[in-house]
Amino acid sequence: MSSIVIKVEHLHKTYGPLKAVNDLSFEVNRSVCHGFLGPNGAGKTTTMKILYGRNQRDSFPSSKVNVFGYDPGQDELQIKFFSGVVPQEDNLDSELNVHQNLEVYSKFYGMGKKAAQARIDELLEFMELSEKHKGRIRELSGGMKRRLSIVRAILHDPQLLILDEPTTGLDPQVRHLIWSKLRQLKENGVTILLTTHYMEEAFQICDVITIMDKGRKMMEGEPQSLLSEHVEQFVLETRNINPVSPLQMKFNRDLIRLDDSHKLPMYYSNDFTALKNLSDQLEQKEYNLRQSNLEDLFLKVTGRTLNEEQ
Amino acid sequence: MRNNKPPSFASRIYSVWYRHMRVYTRHLFSNGFPPFMEPLILLAGIGLGLGKYIERMDGVPYIQFLVPGLIVAPAMFTATFECTFGTFIRLEFDKAYDGMLGSPLTVNNLIIGEIFWAGTKGMFFSFAVLSVVLVFGVVPPHSYIFTPFIGFFTGAMFATIALTFTSFIKTINHINFYITGFISPMFFFSGVIFPLNTLPSSIRLFAELLPLVHSVRIVRAMATSHFEIHLLGDVLYIVLSITIFGFFAIQRFKKRMID
Repeated sequence: MSSIVIKVEHLHKTYGPLKAVNDLSFEVNRSVCHGFLGPNGAGKTTTMKILYGRNQRDSFPSSKVNVFGYDPGQDELQIKFFSGVVPQEDNLDSELNVHQNLEVYSKFYGMGKKAAQARIDELLEFMELSEKHKGRIRELSGGMKRRLSIVRAILHDPQLLILDEPTTGLDPQVRHLIWSKLRQLKENGVTILLTTHYMEEAFQICDVITIMDKGRKMMEGEPQSLLSEHVEQFVLETRNINPVSPLQMKFNRDLIRLDDSHKLPMYYSNDFTALKNLSDQLEQKEYNLRQSNLEDLFLKVTGRTLNEEQ
Repeated sequence: MRNNKPPSFASRIYSVWYRHMRVYTRHLFSNGFPPFMEPLILLAGIGLGLGKYIERMDGVPYIQFLVPGLIVAPAMFTATFECTFGTFIRLEFDKAYDGMLGSPLTVNNLIIGEIFWAGTKGMFFSFAVLSVVLVFGVVPPHSYIFTPFIGFFTGAMFATIALTFTSFIKTINHINFYITGFISPMFFFSGVIFPLNTLPSSIRLFAELLPLVHSVRIVRAMATSHFEIHLLGDVLYIVLSITIFGFFAIQRFKKRMID
């Protein structure tokens, strides 16, 4: 089952002086959910757009993009025909209602009227939107709009689904619903590419993640193994309540790593007891001792300071 | 069920046209009624007022002189609004094109579909004027029966020009320049309200460059069943405009949307 369906080699994209994508290479296997993580301006969206021919890559002889056997530079239509795209910004047709929006898109995909009708009913049910099928777009909540955008993207039963920040700005219930639906799609054989800056999202649904920063690939692998390989197991976060800085604390540098690049120092270690002992120097309110997560990894890789796009 | 070829070129264009048609017919009354109202008001204004002062123009009763121009001018206006404000909103505010470009459509398909749709609207608006003047028996039906087709080509021509303009602008307010500076004056200097041959020769030469002049001339020829060889020049003008501006519009939008 683990056949490669997307292969990108040495991808570059320049906008004037800005290198949006800088020598990016990756592979995606069939029926896998591959997540692209990175701060705003990392080049995630540009990469997605290049894959379905919406943006043009820089023409280097060494640059190669292969999506299910097609090159988006030449076979844009073929790729878009077996892919579904859920954009970052909702672009549903506000002049049409829910059902008409889908009907119009079924025509774009060349679906017959009957097949389209059955599929629309089935998918509205699947995304729990059946009640809204005559609803106006303006009256839908953010979560409903996003779910409708997903329905629109999978109308024609695509093999590849590309989602650009699918759950940004949505409430937790909707996010969990969307995640579970995406898992179901993946089980049905759909290959999923998504961009996100929610670590939890990456952890929940991605089999593989690529962390990007400033157009470059920083790291790639399974979320769990990336985490265990690159970040200590536990973190002691401090909150500076007293005028006495937690920075002045004494600790064993062999066991504990201090990250004070941000205002509040964080202590990382694989030795829980060592951190526990360290935390004894602080008051209860001044710290949080927890397991490390993908966010810690993300911040370690992409840095804590803001870039000009953020 | 799975077809592994994307829809054909013709069905892609049709699907874009279909999208616009669905949006337009969603408000059937408010979109479909005014095209019939407008000529009614005009006819009333001329019949009750202006017609009393101007009885004949260019050798025919004034009302009959006016009809050919009134049939194609609304096609110009509707195609212009559709492909300036309408297109700009779809491009920048509603992001409708963004969504469409995620489905198996190219920029070329979007623009050609847009042109066909504007042509269709032009034909509908011409048809609306024609039905009103026929109902009132202002002109004989037989010579006018095919004039809505000229409405189609007029709409398509103004669509390509408007699309080319719209592809350059950064804010929706720039459209005002196009409409008040180009489209509105055209209505007065294209032989719709008075014949061009009374104009000073230098202005006449300039008027010959205006697109609407050629549509009006063709309809006028149809109305009088008086066809002359120089009409081919008018046909050529329209065909060339559609081709050239259509080509530019596609190139410009490609550049703007796929960078």
